[in-house]
Amino acid sequence: MLYLQLVLNGFVQGLVIGLGALAITLVFGIARFANAGTGDFLTAGSYGALAAHKATGSLLLAGLGGVAVSALVSLLAYVLVFRRLMGRSVMALLLASIGVGFTIRAIHGLLFGHGQYVFQVPLSRPYIVLGMRISPLDLALMLTAALALTILFVILHVTSIGRQMRAVADNPELARVSGIRVKRVMTTLWLLAGAISAVAGIILGIKTVVTPESGWDMLLPLFSAAIFGGIGSPLGAMVAGILLGIAQELSTPFVGFTYKIVLAFAVMLFVLLVRPRGLFGVVEGVR
Amino acid sequence: MEAYLAAIGIVVLINVLLALGLTLQYGRTGLINFGHVGSFAIGAYASALLALQGVPLVICFIAAAVLAALAAWPIGLISLRLRDDYFAIVTLGFSETVRIVITSERWLTNGIQGIPGVPRLYERIGVGLPAQLAVLATLVVVVLIAAAVIQRIAKSPFGRVIEAIRDNEEAVKALGKDPAGFKIQVLMVGAALAGVAGAFYAHYITYIVPDQFGPIVTFYTWMAIIIGGVGRISGALVGTAILMLFLEGSRFIKDVIPGIPEIEMASIRLGVIGIALILFVTYRPQGLMGDYTRR
Repeated sequence: MLYLQLVLNGFVQGLVIGLGALAITLVFGIARFANAGTGDFLTAGSYGALAAHKATGSLLLAGLGGVAVSALVSLLAYVLVFRRLMGRSVMALLLASIGVGFTIRAIHGLLFGHGQYVFQVPLSRPYIVLGMRISPLDLALMLTAALALTILFVILHVTSIGRQMRAVADNPELARVSGIRVKRVMTTLWLLAGAISAVAGIILGIKTVVTPESGWDMLLPLFSAAIFGGIGSPLGAMVAGILLGIAQELSTPFVGFTYKIVLAFAVMLFVLLVRPRGLFGVVEGVR
Repeated sequence: MEAYLAAIGIVVLINVLLALGLTLQYGRTGLINFGHVGSFAIGAYASALLALQGVPLVICFIAAAVLAALAAWPIGLISLRLRDDYFAIVTLGFSETVRIVITSERWLTNGIQGIPGVPRLYERIGVGLPAQLAVLATLVVVVLIAAAVIQRIAKSPFGRVIEAIRDNEEAVKALGKDPAGFKIQVLMVGAALAGVAGAFYAHYITYIVPDQFGPIVTFYTWMAIIIGGVGRISGALVGTAILMLFLEGSRFIKDVIPGIPEIEMASIRLGVIGIALILFVTYRPQGLMGDYTRR
């Protein structure tokens, strides 16, 4: 029964990892670099939601506020930094994304201090199913994640801008000469990456605590899941994130709480060495 | 005052050693190592723990270099198969793993409480200025040796191959050289330098905790080599000096503008480093002393 409970907890953790990995994989697939600032986009979402929650008292508005803040932060990062570096070396973009992350974290530290914040969510009696304790809050978080994913996949696969995004991901040169406006695609991409990071950050904030470092501390699992799922594959990122979340929770009785992150690292190494294209990735010429 | 200057000199030179390691790895060979602090931590803990067991300090320092280099070996093996950005992420994971291990394995490292009372260098001379100057002199010698070795490597056939790997790895392969072995050696030498830096750090600060080995240290070093100019020894020196001037100087801002608590200063420092990274990468990727004839 303990293990079933761990699987459930891991599933919720996995939603955080999967959604964050989704933001990484979208950027990696379309803008073609590993955004090490993604963790701090998560934190921006958490703080945005906290502030909105305090101001309005409504969890729904808190969620929307967090999404808006993180989407804006992400778009700003693109307009002010990454746009100027397009076409530059991998090192330039990677280091700049570290710089963006540091800057966001510094702003969080200055605005909100270094204490821990928690979401004041009403306590409720958990449902007992098969001996597992399922809290209504967890169910609500799962539904939220499912809703966010549905919206994202509809945008990616049904709308015209989504098709354009996938075209750029597939072949940027061909997309450009076909008349796709890259600027519009990029703007949408960064707004989406920020918004989806915010959902991850809010779930993380509700399940644990919010500090300026809470998102950065998730970065390795996020990268791990993005690679595990296959870079550029949104579905893969989500599946890998949930698997990783469950694996991390199941490992705690054996290796202890602190080694969760190391497990994510080990999974990443294993995938890179054995199956670099991950679960759903396509074969690339280079890796 | 002399003691303060000597202290700054020691801290600067320890960071110069770190920067030299990265100069070799990134500046010369193009390896994007985001886990430099991992080697630094291994050196610091290895030397401190051995010294507390009564092992002579010379052997502790050698062990620090060797262990840091050995830990870099598997990373090198993996790096051969990965693209630059994946390698960067893997190395970042390496340093975080090191930090988590030293945080968790309390039987060995005393966890977050850290290791107090690490023996100083030249303890027989005492703890005053003469001992500090002796440490400083030792560091100067070590830095000079490291710089000479890197300079020597640069002029050797080995140096030309690693530069060629940086500039065009495919061409190196086409010429029948295997980049793999070269990359591993460069990583291990760079890690050994970081390990020695870690040993100096542990024996100078005398109290080490896992918090001192966060990723920020890695990016301080990156900042230093980018300010100074990537790939140049003079760049590593100048960049580190400027960075340390800023980090030290930010302590004095507290005295000039009262009412800024230390925790806020930490955020400000982080933000300044973040913005400086962005600006340098965007507008001056060669740094101040950089080689403008190259890309």
